[in-house]
This record gives sequence, C-alpha cells and structure tokens, in this order.
Amino acid sequence: MFFKYKRMWETFPIRSSYDAVIIGGGLHGLATAYFLARDHGMTDIAVLERKYIGFGGSGRNTAIVRANQRTKENLPLYAEGLKLWPRLTDELDFNLMFFNCGNLNLAHSEAALGAMRMLVASAQFNGIKSELVDAKQCKELVPILDISDRPTYPVMGGMYHPPGGTIRHDAVVWGLAKGASAQGVHIHQGAEVEGITVTNGRVTSVETNQGTIHTPRVLNAAGGYSTLVSAMVGIRLPIHVLTIQAMVTQPLKPILHHVVSSGAYHCYANQTLKGEIATGAHMDPWPNYTTQTSAKYIKHQAESLTELMPCLAGVKFMRAWGGLADMTPDMAPLIDGNDHIEGYYMDCGWGYFGFKSGAVTGKYLAAFMATGNCPDILKPFTLRRYENHNLMGEIASPVNYGPWD
Amino acid sequence: MQERLAHLKTLRVDPEIPVPFIYRGKKYRGVTGDSIASALFANGIRIFSRSLKYHRPRGLYSLNGECGNCLMEVDGIPNVQAETTPLKFGMNIRPQNVVGTPDHDLMAFVDRFDQLMPSGFYYHYFHRPYKLWPFFQNRLRNVAGLGRLRPTTRMTGNYDELYPNADVCVIGAGPAGIQAALAAAARGLRVILLEARPWAGGCFDYRSSAYDGNVSLFERAQELSRQVKQMGSIRLFRNTAVIGCYANMLVTAFQKGSESDPFDERYVEIKAGSVVMATGCIERPLIFDHNDRPGIMQVNCAHRLARTYGLLPGTSAVFSIGDDLGLEAAVDLSDLGLHVPVVADARFDGQDEFLLQELDKRNILFRRGWIASKANGNRQLEGVRLCTIDGMRFQDISCDTLIASAGLTPAAGPLFLCQAKMAYDVFTGFFLPEKLPSNVHASGRLLALTDHVAIEASGRLAGLKAAKDCGVLLEGEIDRTAEELGDLPGPARGCKLVQAPGRGRKRFVCFDEDVTAKNIYQACSMGFDQVELAKRFSTAGLGPGQGGIPGHNLPMLLAQYHGDERHDVLPSTVRPPLTPTYLATYAGKRRRMIKQTPLRDTLAERRGAVFRRAGAWERVRYFSEDTTSRSEIESVRNRVGVIDVSTLGKFRIFGPDALKALERVYVGDMASVCRGRVKYSAMCNHDGCLMDDGVITRKGENDYYFTTSTGRAAATAEWIRYHTRHDGWDFSIVNLTDAFGALNLAGPDARKVLEKLTDQDLSTESFPFIGYREFMIHDAIPIRAIRLGFVGELSYELHVPSSYTRALWDLILAAGRPFDIQPFGLEAQNVLRLEKGHVIIGQETEIRTTLHDLGLGFLWRRNKPGAKKIGSRALKFTEHQAGRMKLVGFKMADAARPARDGAVVVDDNIRGYVCTSRYSNTLKESIGLALVESELAEIGTRLALFEDNMGDRRLYARVVPTPFYDPEGKRVRM
Amino acid sequence: MSLFITCPICGKRNGYEFRFGGEERGPVPEEEGLTHEAWSDYIHMRANVGGIQEEWWYHRDGCGSWFKIRRNTLNNLEETDKRNKAI
Repeated sequence: MFFKYKRMWETFPIRSSYDAVIIGGGLHGLATAYFLARDHGMTDIAVLERKYIGFGGSGRNTAIVRANQRTKENLPLYAEGLKLWPRLTDELDFNLMFFNCGNLNLAHSEAALGAMRMLVASAQFNGIKSELVDAKQCKELVPILDISDRPTYPVMGGMYHPPGGTIRHDAVVWGLAKGASAQGVHIHQGAEVEGITVTNGRVTSVETNQGTIHTPRVLNAAGGYSTLVSAMVGIRLPIHVLTIQAMVTQPLKPILHHVVSSGAYHCYANQTLKGEIATGAHMDPWPNYTTQTSAKYIKHQAESLTELMPCLAGVKFMRAWGGLADMTPDMAPLIDGNDHIEGYYMDCGWGYFGFKSGAVTGKYLAAFMATGNCPDILKPFTLRRYENHNLMGEIASPVNYGPWD
Repeated sequence: MQERLAHLKTLRVDPEIPVPFIYRGKKYRGVTGDSIASALFANGIRIFSRSLKYHRPRGLYSLNGECGNCLMEVDGIPNVQAETTPLKFGMNIRPQNVVGTPDHDLMAFVDRFDQLMPSGFYYHYFHRPYKLWPFFQNRLRNVAGLGRLRPTTRMTGNYDELYPNADVCVIGAGPAGIQAALAAAARGLRVILLEARPWAGGCFDYRSSAYDGNVSLFERAQELSRQVKQMGSIRLFRNTAVIGCYANMLVTAFQKGSESDPFDERYVEIKAGSVVMATGCIERPLIFDHNDRPGIMQVNCAHRLARTYGLLPGTSAVFSIGDDLGLEAAVDLSDLGLHVPVVADARFDGQDEFLLQELDKRNILFRRGWIASKANGNRQLEGVRLCTIDGMRFQDISCDTLIASAGLTPAAGPLFLCQAKMAYDVFTGFFLPEKLPSNVHASGRLLALTDHVAIEASGRLAGLKAAKDCGVLLEGEIDRTAEELGDLPGPARGCKLVQAPGRGRKRFVCFDEDVTAKNIYQACSMGFDQVELAKRFSTAGLGPGQGGIPGHNLPMLLAQYHGDERHDVLPSTVRPPLTPTYLATYAGKRRRMIKQTPLRDTLAERRGAVFRRAGAWERVRYFSEDTTSRSEIESVRNRVGVIDVSTLGKFRIFGPDALKALERVYVGDMASVCRGRVKYSAMCNHDGCLMDDGVITRKGENDYYFTTSTGRAAATAEWIRYHTRHDGWDFSIVNLTDAFGALNLAGPDARKVLEKLTDQDLSTESFPFIGYREFMIHDAIPIRAIRLGFVGELSYELHVPSSYTRALWDLILAAGRPFDIQPFGLEAQNVLRLEKGHVIIGQETEIRTTLHDLGLGFLWRRNKPGAKKIGSRALKFTEHQAGRMKLVGFKMADAARPARDGAVVVDDNIRGYVCTSRYSNTLKESIGLALVESELAEIGTRLALFEDNMGDRRLYARVVPTPFYDPEGKRVRM
Repeated sequence: MSLFITCPICGKRNGYEFRFGGEERGPVPEEEGLTHEAWSDYIHMRANVGGIQEEWWYHRDGCGSWFKIRRNTLNNLEETDKRNKAI
C-alpha cells in the first residue's frame, strides 16, 4: 500500500473559545484557515460548517479556473490564484487534479471580438497568456465545433487562454481540510451558526447549535448563505442569491480537450478527467435558497451544445444539479473587515467566480485577519464602493433593478 | 439462437418475425419485440461489456437500465442502454470498454491490482514529482470514459417536443397507476398516464400467479389496460421515461418513438393540476463476493426474460433472495423448465406459506436465513457458495445462473425530485414519504404494499385525492376508499440485510464505477463518513447509471459503518434526469428564432449583403465584401444613403400622468417636449449610468411618441412601469416597435430624394433639424418623419407602418436612383456616427459609465427633485468625483493605422480601453473613442495603446475634442 | 425547481414568462437629508430572506403588468393566501 487510510481531518468537540471563527466550511473558509495557520501561526481556529465540508458552492461549481478577467483589479489576484494550484498540490500532498487544458471563449459577433481583444490585451499586459483566434483556429482547438453558418450564432472567432483549465473541486476542499487540520485547525461539521454577538462595536462571540464560542474574529465565508450570516450583525449586502445549474453527460473517451464557453449561448462545457462532458448554464433570475434544478436549463444546455458541437447530440445527460450564487451587481466580490464592526470580516459576493479565486483569496484574507490591515490587492473589493456609485467593471452591462436576465 | 418459450401468453415478442442485426461485425437474429439486450441474450451473448476500472466481465443484470453493464455502441452512438432500447432492423451493435474481445479482454489483468486502487487513490498518486502529472493525467483520461463518440457522429432521427396540460398526471402504468388514472378520469378529468415500458401493466404484466380466483395477474393487467384504452380522457404515453419532477406539478419525460410514430424520441413536459406517483419498486442488489459475474441477475430480470421475452435465463439457477417475489419467480421458472436446485432466503420468517408449499411440491430445497456469499467462475458464473446469515455454515453449489436480490427498494426518484420529505422506515426498509408536497400523491408498491388488491386500492385512493385537488367534490368516496384500503394488508416487512457475511475485496456496491464495499469503508475511515461525502470520494453512484444500483445500499452501508442502522440511514441526493437522456432529445426541434425586420428578404436579395445577429435581431452589417464599408460611407457623405433602422424601439405613452412618467425616467426636462419637434434625452439607472437614449415628441394632449435604442426596446415598457409602480399614476404605454418599420434616409441629397415622393414642404425652414412631421407618401403611406443627425448629415428618419416598409424602401431606392443612392449597413453607420462622436450604448458605455463620464451631463435637468428622476442623485454625487473613467475622442499618431477595438490604454498600468477606432476616409485620419481614467482625459494628452501580441511596442494617439467631423453641426442643419 | 406565478390578469403561468423585479422595499425615499449610506441601502442592499418575501414581478410575455406576490424562497412556492393585484 502506498498510503494509509488515516483520517484526513480530525474531529474534536467544540471549544468555548477560539482565536478566530470561520463561518463556512467551503473552499474560501478552509483556505483562509489553512493560510492563517501556515503563514501567521494562528492555529486556534474553528471552521464551522452547517452540513458537511464542501456542501455549498465549493462542491457544486464546474471547477473551471482561469485568469482572463476584465478589470485590472481582478487580474493579478486570479493570475496568482492560477499559479497556486500546483504549489498547493505539493504542499498538501493531495492531487488536486489540475487539468491545464486551456479555455476557449467563443465570439459570435464583431462586438464580442472587440470585447475579447480588451480581455486579451489586458491579460497580456499583465503577463498572462491569452490570445485572439479566428474561427478556423477555434476549430483546430476544438475539432467538434461547428464553425459553419448553421448555428443560430455562428462562431466568428474566440479567445484562447492556455493557463486555465479545470480542477477537481472536491479535492481542493478535502486537501485544504487535510492541510488545515494537520496544523491544528478544528473543522466542525454539522455546526450551525445561530447568532453573532457584537459588544461595543466589537465581535465577542458566536452562537451555534452546539453552544457559544467566544472569539475576537469572525469571518463570514458562508457563500450563498452569507447575507443571512451578515444579517446577524445587521450588515446588509448588495447580493442576490440565485440558483445556478450545471450538468454532466455520461462519460466518453476523450473528445473535448479544452474548456469551451460562449456568452451568446450562455453555455460552457469541458470534459472532466472521468470523461463526462460538464456544462453549465445561466442562473434562474430570482433569489431563492432551493439549489433545485429546473426543467428549462437542461433543455437550454442541450439546445446550445448541440448547435455548437453537433456530435454531442449523441450523448446523454445523466446528472444535473444546482448551487447558490451570491451575485453582486458588478460581479465582483465583497471583501471587507473591521468596518462598522471590529473583528468582523467578510468574504462573500463571489457569485459564480468563487472557485477560481478561493485559495489565493484565503491567503490574503488570512493576512488581513491576522494583522487587521487589508492587503492592497483586496482593497478594491470594499463594500463601500456601492455608496460611492463606483462599482467595479467586471461585467460591462449597467446595473438593472433585478438580477440578471 | 436460444429457443423461445413460444407458448407463453405473457410474451411481448413475436418469435415468428425475425429481426436481423449485427453484433461485432457478425450477423444475428432477434425477434420482433426484443430489446437489444434480450436479442443478444437469445443469441448466447453473456458478456455485454467490461467494467470501467478493472475490466471485469459484465452481463445482463437488470432489465430496467439501472446500471452500465449493458451500455453498448449502436450505429455509432455510444452508451446506448441495451436493456431498454428496442431492437431495430439492421442495428450495428458493439460492446464498450473492451480491449480485445468481451470474452478475452487484454486489460482484464488490472482486476488483480485492485489493492493498488483503493478509494480515491488518484488523489494520493501521480503528483510527485509534479512534472509527471500531465503524463499520468492523459493516461487517466484515456482509461476513463466509456463509449467513444466520433466527431462526425450525427443523430439523424426526428426529435420532437410536446407540452401537454392535464388535470392529473400519473407516473407509472402499473396496477396502482392505472387505478389512479381510471379513478380520476371517471370523474371527468383529463389524465396523462406515463409508462416507461412499451406496455402498461407494471409488476402484474409478466406474472402468472393468481390475482383473484381464476384470473392471473397478467390477465388482470390486460383487463386494466383495456379499461384504460376505453377511457377516452386518459392519454397513455408508452415508452415514456420520467426524467424530471418538480414542485408545482411539472413533470418532464421523454418518449421513444415506436414504428408508427413520426418521431424517434420526443421531449414531453407536462403541466398538471395534481400528480400521482405509482412508480413501484426496483430491486436492491445483493452484496457478496463477485456479485457482478455474468450469470448473476436480479429476480425480475430472470423472470421477465422468461415471461416477456420467452428466454430461460440459464439451465440451472440458484436463488438467493429476500422477498416473496423471489419465491414466486423460483416456482414459475422451475415450471418453465429451469432447474432450480436451491432457494436461499435471507429472511428467517415472513415468507408466503403458499409459495413455500409450491417450492416443496417441486422438490426445490428452501434454505431459510441463507444467502449467497461468493460467486465462483471467472468469465462466467460456474457455481455459488451459499452460507448462513451468521456465516457459520456454508455450501457450494454449481450452477450457471444465480438469481440474486436483497429485496425490493422503492423507485422513489420522482418523490425525491419533487421535494417530498423522505425518511427511512425501519419496518419496510424503504425510504417512504413522510410529507408530500401539495397536490402530489404516492401509491402502490412505492409505499411497500405487496397485496394485489391493496396496490390497486391505494392507486384508486391516490386518483381520488388527485381529483379532489382538481376541484372534484368526493369527500365520502375518499374516506370509503381509505377505509377499504385500511382493511387490506398493509406495507410488508422488508429485508434489511446489508451484505453477505465475509469481507471479500470484490463485492461491488456500484458496478458502473467498480466501487466495492471495501472502498466504502476506506472512504469512511478517512473521514468521508457521511453519505454524500462517501459518494463523492468513492464515486459510488456517479457512473452512467447514477444511483440505480448503489442508491439504497450505500446509505445502508454507511449506517452499518456507524453501527446503528435504525437512526442513521440517510438517503443520498437524487438528481435529475432520472433516466439518462440524449441531448438530441432535450434539444428537440431546435427551432431557429430570430427577429427579422420587414425588409429582411428585400435586403437579402441584394448582392453582397452580409447579415449578423445583433441581439434578438438579424441585421445587415455590410453591403459588400469590403469590411471598411468605404463606398457606403462615401455615398452618405457625398450623395445619399439609406439604412433599415426598423429595430429601433418605438413607443406611445399617453394618459393624464404620461408626462410625470417621462419625467421620472428621462434625465431631461420633459415639460419642454412640444409638438412638431423632438427632444433628445437619456435614461439612466440609479447609479447615473446611461441605459438608453432616444427622442421624444408630443403628438397631442398627454400623448407622446418616443424612440429607444434597439437593445432596450424590449425592456422599456417594463422599465417605465417599474419606476412608477408605487405612484398609482394613470398612463398607458404601447410598444410600437414591431408595428413600425423605420428607414434613415441620410446625405446631402436626402431632401431631393424625399421631395420626389411627397408634396410636404421639406425645406429646412418648414421642417428644420430636430423637427417632427407627419405626412403621406403618394397619398397612401403615412409617415412619421424626424430630422435627426446620428450619422452627421441631413437626414430623415422615416417611421412607417410595418406592412408599408417594403413599399417605402422600393420607392426611395427608385427616387434615389438619379442621386446614386446606396443602402448602407451597420458598419457604415458605426463609422459615420464615430466621425460625429456619437456614442452607441454598450459600445462606448459600460457598467461604470455615467452621463457625466460621457460628456452628456448637459442632458440632465438637475432642478427637478419632485420628479424623483432615476439617476438624479447619483448624477449629483458623481458630477465632480475623482477617479472615474471618461469618454474621450482621440486621433492616432499614425493616420493610416487605427487602433483595434478593445486595445487598452496603458502607462505602467492599464488606464482605459479603446471602444471604437476606425480609419476615417472622410477625414483621412484614424480616429476613435476611448474610456480612460480622468487624468488622461485632458485634450492633448498623449495615449499609449497596447494591443494583443504587441510586446513592448505601443501605438500612440492624442486626445482631441469631438465631433471629429463637422464640429459646428452645419451639415445636419442643411 | 419550477416556478409558477399567478398573474392577477392572466392567471397562473410558468415563471419564465415573468421578470423578477426585486424585494418590495417601498417607494424611492425622499432625497432631503438622506445619507449616502441610506441611499445605497435602498438602491443596492437586499435582505435575501430565507422564507416568505414580498416581491415584484412583471408579466413580460403576457399582459405587461407589475404586481406583487409572496413567495417562499426556500421552496419557490407562491403563497396564495391573498390575491395578487396588478398596478
């Protein structure tokens, strides 16, 4: 045998006090705990997870990673995040299955090509590999692509981003849990937060279904449930909680070698290492906490995929699921702390981008929580940008009165 | 070919009519009514595939398509479920995941190395050193995956879709489902009855035991089917598998077409008033050593193979069962000629005495509290080791078939999906509904009923309750039926056995992923000791058959691991689709839905017209192969051109409070809008960012006509009503976008052209710039004309009833011929307006762009606080805010080289980006518009531009005032 | 999940015919004396109640009216205790 079946994370009874309490046993929470322990020597930490680790968005996303964002505030963070995966694999001694297959975004109009040139130029200026490709090159990358004018939105070109790819999302959660636990972090599954006590403007304790925990630091990393946690301290957030869906087909031998996505079709797809074609859809544009799938999107995905890649008509969808996306109007996260309430930190509003950035955000957030000072790289994500009418430019379209549609 | 039991009345095949097919390149024959699996089985095929990880031989195990054992490639399509796919003439069938032949697989040696592949082994290998990972990763990719899809594969069939409504939707046309359907239909309701198999009858269909006196179960099933047929208000969908089930009584399914149907498969989405679940049961696989050997099959598989397809499952069959259906099958199959040496029953008591007597009569040895613990044989079953539940005594028996089952498990997928609250029931060993959503009912074997009469009564009861949901009054009847059901035998005690004694390495919990019981324990001991975590880590239930095989056993194994079966049996999550479904089927008709202007066909007839999708619309971008559109631009600048702008949003708003509504959404002073003139204004969001622009004119008392950009046409009525929803104002808004076509006739000769068509005085004195006039063309076509200057020349935007658009177009082209009129497209318009410095929303604006940032702050009328103008507060706040991105015009240092759209403005960081840049042939310069940080927005600032693949090179430009062309605006006023 | 919404004019229809218009948070507040924070709270901040909330919907592929319903965000079911009214 090459390894023993020893527990990857230990279980402990909940203590009555910790140096820091992290709400949410997902990727962001576990990563922050891991880096607090690794980089700042803070090991007296509790990660509280209501269900089981990775229950939320961390285990429901389609595990795509990339660093071709739109704004200069986001690019360096995501670029560093991308480089972190191999390092973490090594550090955690857990194969995160980074499949560095590259991402191809399709453009279906001249305007989309212009928008992509801006992304490509921005990436290249930041030293990130990304290039514009024409329809023929798209076809060379993805031979099953239909580049004729048969599709409703014919392919006119695209943006190819070699450093991206996919990761086994569960592995990241488990690996970080392993790494955090090994350094003494307590991971409590089934621990539900029921309240946060603030005294004289300072966080003092967290109420859970298993008793009170005294702590001077609390991180809200509750993903889709972060507005509910935030409400416990009376901070309202510019978030709409939407359900986003994804699905996989039955496994096939390798046929799709890159992540392919198309804005016009609201659709992206990649083939997992196991051979399934994983594809994701747009969100149901009304807030809810159901994580339920709907009849509409699985059909919509089939319509889109079979237009773009006609041979996929001959595979079967075998599983669809939904997860919560904590969407902000400008599609940028809310990272803040010690504002309004001393010792209360937030790392939420990641929408459906939370996976790619999780580990690296945890690293900087750990520095924030350990020192109380926000690292420069996280400063643009302050909540106050909303009252200053100074939103971030991660998406181009202006804010409407409801969530996306 | 194996001889069929041709005399059976339960047969669903016609042994007289052969159906030829090809398997592995050789010709075979099945018969009409065969599934692919039954046809192969009839031809002696026992190994259907090789398993994913270990390349173990796999054979026919179930006939319901719960696992991947019988996934095959058919006519080039991979992963076809042979068990449930009807055999068709000439099918070309190949086995999957086979290296060599199914009988001699070259990868079969891997089976011996299973200890190297414990649960989640890949997380622990292959990443050290990291350099080697890509190599292993590619190996893994090639080993994983089942079927092979060719890039050239096309699904050539006819895929349909259907969206029926019904009062009651019944899932499952077994005895319970049929009774439910009949009960509801008899009360005058429209019923849709869905059945996955090609025939109704469910668990009665293939059985010859007595229903009542002289009537056998299959005869009863036939009688029930007859009643369904006679009931006109029941629509029976056969071959229709339910794939999704949602709260609110929405059910999705797909139907396989039969010979007489005009479709191959069809997506069906049913909206019902009430839903009855009557999906019955499947079997819970028995877990023991080598429980996956070909030759081992489930009870109903063996029984239906004989009764439905006329094929005995083998010659000598041992039974290891946990349910009376197993006893019944043993008796019946023995009568049909199968040698049954022994029946082991995992239960100690509770068996039907009658069936035990029948076994005895046939000299079949019955072993109470015994179970199969190991299968012998390599490629195929050669014998079985039976042992007592405590593992103390055992017996080896040779046989070629083992009929194995731990008992029944409810097919509760639809219940889980529709959010019924499900709980493990200790007595039955079933997950039973604890709380059903409103208007959802469950009945029959799904509720662990086994008595035939009770199954039907519970169906009837569910049907009545569903009828009540639909408003039928029948209180007394429901009570009476409930009472009647109460007097009948209730749910049966279930077999709770988790697995056979022993701890062998090859007892499979999940066939598809080759996950063994041992793997589950490994996962548990590593911390993955909750159902969902164990599932994800071990991958049990994540293969092509999903939870069909491990769905019930996995929670039981976990409970066993935790040592308390009673309280800890938690189900794993069930996810749609319940039956894997082709993308082709989901995609259905694949209609192409595009909005087209009234001129679409006219324009398409013009040589060189290149259409592009623009949002919902299809529009002409170029009228020649020259993508700079130079000649189109020249005709507008020098003579006259015409463009189809029918996609523009066109609205009428009227009523006493119409003005207030306009004041709310437009930033300008709407009180100044008057007759005969248009006012240009903008709509912002609450952040002061530009959403839309357009012109407004007044047509009468409290009556206005206005235009919006193409992209906002669909959202404008919604927007105005939204922002006035609390006010209770009285106004009406009509979207006239599709009622009017629109042309923009532009160029210095525009007036001359139009004058030929109307006697309206078009002189600039009588119809000045920003004027609005209504007149007739040729006394027939009513025109709304606006003098605007988007492209920077004398122009008339002509709005015309849609049906006249083509006539007007033809008239204008004819009248313009002496002036060499040319149609122009979107790209020409883009350059023309760029020369004028006009913005296109979405092109020169983004999420952060306020009216001020665009230099359009003058449009905002600030002193109207009472109007609560949308965006007003943000416009005040951001008016002098530092650090915003501003729109600037620029000229390239190299006049011949425009920047490309999307180039970024840089110094040592990114400071902005180019929205649009073109070579202006009019100005002989390269110009553009860019959004840049405010420090770079001063006139005269030198901008360094970086495009893709530019390395250290930069392009340079200088910020200049706009408009670039005709800054005084003389030409639009000509 | 499937969502059905009862339009006061057209009756119960598939949720995809409608456009969500946000939680009910009252009319735009008067500007006089309003802080930036309070303004931003009105414009951008949301409660995301886990339970029943009052909210606006627009019947886009139907009659074009805005109306309020009460919906449970935990199961996406409409509360039909009181009749919806179109504005």
